[in-house]
Amino acid sequence: MDIRAQVSMVFHLDKCIGCHTCSVACKNIWTDRKGTEYMWWNNVETKPGTGYPTLWEDQEKYKGGWQKDSYGKLQLRLHSRLKGMANLFFNPFLPTIDDYYEPWTYDYENLFNAPEGDDQPTARAVSMITGKPMDSIEAGPNWDDDLGGSPVYARNDTNLDELTEDEREQLNELERVVFFYLPRICNHCLNPGCVAACPQGAIYKRGEDGIVLISQEKCRAWRMCISGCPYKKTYYNWSSGKSEKCILCFPRLESGQPPACFHSCVGRIRYLGVLLYDADKIEQCASVPDDQLVEAQRNMIMDPFDPAVISAAKANGISDAMITSAQNSPVYKFVMKWRIALPLHSEFRTLPMLFYVPPMLPVLAKTRDGTYDVAGLENENLGAMLSSLEKARMPIKYMARMFAAGNVGEVEDVYRKLIAVRIFKRAQKVKDYGQAEVDSALAQGKTNAEEVEAIFRLTALPTYEERFVVPPLGRESAVEAWEDPLDHKREAGFGNLVQITRRRF
Amino acid sequence: MTQGATRRFTVGMPCRLPGALITLACCGVLGVAAPRGARAQTAADGQTLFAGMCKACHTIGGGALVGPDLAGVTKLRAKDWLARWIAAPSKMLAAHDPTATELFNQYNKVTMPDFGLTAAQVASVIAYLESGATTAAAGSAAPAPLPAGEAARGRSYFVGGTGFTNGGPHCISCHSVAGLSSLGGGNLGPDLTNSGYVKSEPAFAAFIGAPSTTTMAAIWAKTPLTTQEQADLYAFLSKAAVQQREPDALLQIALLCFAGAALMVVVAQLYWRKRSKGVRKPMIARTYSMKRG
Repeated sequence: MDIRAQVSMVFHLDKCIGCHTCSVACKNIWTDRKGTEYMWWNNVETKPGTGYPTLWEDQEKYKGGWQKDSYGKLQLRLHSRLKGMANLFFNPFLPTIDDYYEPWTYDYENLFNAPEGDDQPTARAVSMITGKPMDSIEAGPNWDDDLGGSPVYARNDTNLDELTEDEREQLNELERVVFFYLPRICNHCLNPGCVAACPQGAIYKRGEDGIVLISQEKCRAWRMCISGCPYKKTYYNWSSGKSEKCILCFPRLESGQPPACFHSCVGRIRYLGVLLYDADKIEQCASVPDDQLVEAQRNMIMDPFDPAVISAAKANGISDAMITSAQNSPVYKFVMKWRIALPLHSEFRTLPMLFYVPPMLPVLAKTRDGTYDVAGLENENLGAMLSSLEKARMPIKYMARMFAAGNVGEVEDVYRKLIAVRIFKRAQKVKDYGQAEVDSALAQGKTNAEEVEAIFRLTALPTYEERFVVPPLGRESAVEAWEDPLDHKREAGFGNLVQITRRRF
Repeated sequence: MTQGATRRFTVGMPCRLPGALITLACCGVLGVAAPRGARAQTAADGQTLFAGMCKACHTIGGGALVGPDLAGVTKLRAKDWLARWIAAPSKMLAAHDPTATELFNQYNKVTMPDFGLTAAQVASVIAYLESGATTAAAGSAAPAPLPAGEAARGRSYFVGGTGFTNGGPHCISCHSVAGLSSLGGGNLGPDLTNSGYVKSEPAFAAFIGAPSTTTMAAIWAKTPLTTQEQADLYAFLSKAAVQQREPDALLQIALLCFAGAALMVVVAQLYWRKRSKGVRKPMIARTYSMKRG
């Protein structure tokens, strides 16, 4: 048993309102530098949609993540080692800048300096690549936001592939149109594709907290990580000639503050906590068949109350504060105790360590004879509709493809429990359910009143201290392994010690 | 190209660096030379200069090589003429000096290079020529004439088809000559097409038997050529020298490069035929074409 700690996040998608505050907070802190204009370490996507970069989930196109070879052994989808050498100077599966978007700003000066005229002055869009005015903006990091590009972008969502033609057509009917938001940052995976793909060995997973980082000193711009990462969360900085990615705001975590995206989230959808996992199981868990991946990942995460786990953690140098945090971790509760948070696209086999509580989408409705009506409910009460998975507006297969590698049962379990919480609380507060319905919902959700209350409490009324349970990261004790902590403290930061400049050849 | 090669490698003796060093040394010696015994000193300097710069093509009393035998040259030519000639042969030829032109034609139209000697150095060379010394002691007694050579065998030696008896390196590794192929030979040593050495059998025999340049001497001291090999090489090189370098050799090289580059592009296209050519634009195009269809 090789116990390690991972700082991990849960996104409660029902609470996300798609305001992009997290993205902007991240951008203002980390990616407002030259060369990073197009990067969004945190981005929010509208689903169904093709996301950012376009169709990032389609690994037939981008070759990210892992697959099993003919011997059942894990191999990068991108290339074997030999092919990696052959493609070293030309990586054929990189996204183009158009697949992200052409970053732009506006000519704000013109609003102040325009000569007097008959019309209002306008601020034209100016490309941040060419510096020239852009006549039409064709794509952006959240282009399909709020159905803006639905006819093209939502239709091409790869998660819809398993739906029948009928089901897909229904999604485009006016009254049935449905969407939700998906905030994404680096998943800080346990089996990261970017680390495996880097020919330079410049990417590493920090021992004490599991944050995956790219060394700005070692990176030599091979850009294999961009292809290797199935989530397309490493980006190439064209100005510094180095790749960059989400750093989980480790400088903030080291001073006891949560990441910027977490801190700025107006919906308070994010939970940050520590998980203890068994690193010995990584390869085995990443190799199981698709439909077992979620469960395999749960098996890797160890019970922080188990004395054997605690002693193994201590033997690995994990601090007491970290272990206490793991015991109080909201992430552990969502993922392990209540089992309602699922990893995103575990079929990429990178063992992502960010988890999502799938959204309970709005109830289905139709206009009938010109009146807005709840569909097909003449003879049913509201409760039946709320509790009916079959009437879910977004087909469950879609959610299963996103959050459980296609395992519908896994997602249904989550939804049954979420429905149980809803019915239980409605019976309590609105009193429109009878005891029989509540009992049946609890039974179907395989839960009980106590657990439902706890889920409700952490979902709806959590305090800051309950959402953010990570001790100030003890970097100083971690660096003792190789450097004087005081020396290191002086040198810490993002590129302060070594000036990162592009090498000219 | 042809023009440049001719000018640079006329005499085929890469002695610019040693020459410059000797010049420097001489300047130093001249600078400290005492007035008394200046004449003897000057002649000695002249000897050093002669050994470094002139000996490869000239003898004093040893017969003509690339250039004429210089025995008694100070009596034959005016001192003033000699001084001007040694200082800048190219100027004299450009000015169509009758004597110079005659000599130029007589000696296979091989131009004597401008060594850039100072007036004092020229004077010391003339003093050395006047002193009546001969180079016979340096072993340049007229070499025995070469036996009859065969050009085809010479070519084989040159390009490396046949090994030398004593295991010497093949000429093509450093030298090029017209009539090989478009790509020619090495560039380390001079192009031998218009070299003075391949236009006169005694000059060739004298040089190849005991090369006077540092590089060649070092190479051939331990692995000398046999007389027959020398003769074969001379037969080939003197025949090659008749030809001019093909004027379209450059074009052939350019075409070869172009074809090579085109081949690489084709191979790369084939190897990376499945590369990503953008995702978003094709997706949009596909969607709209589906809707229309």
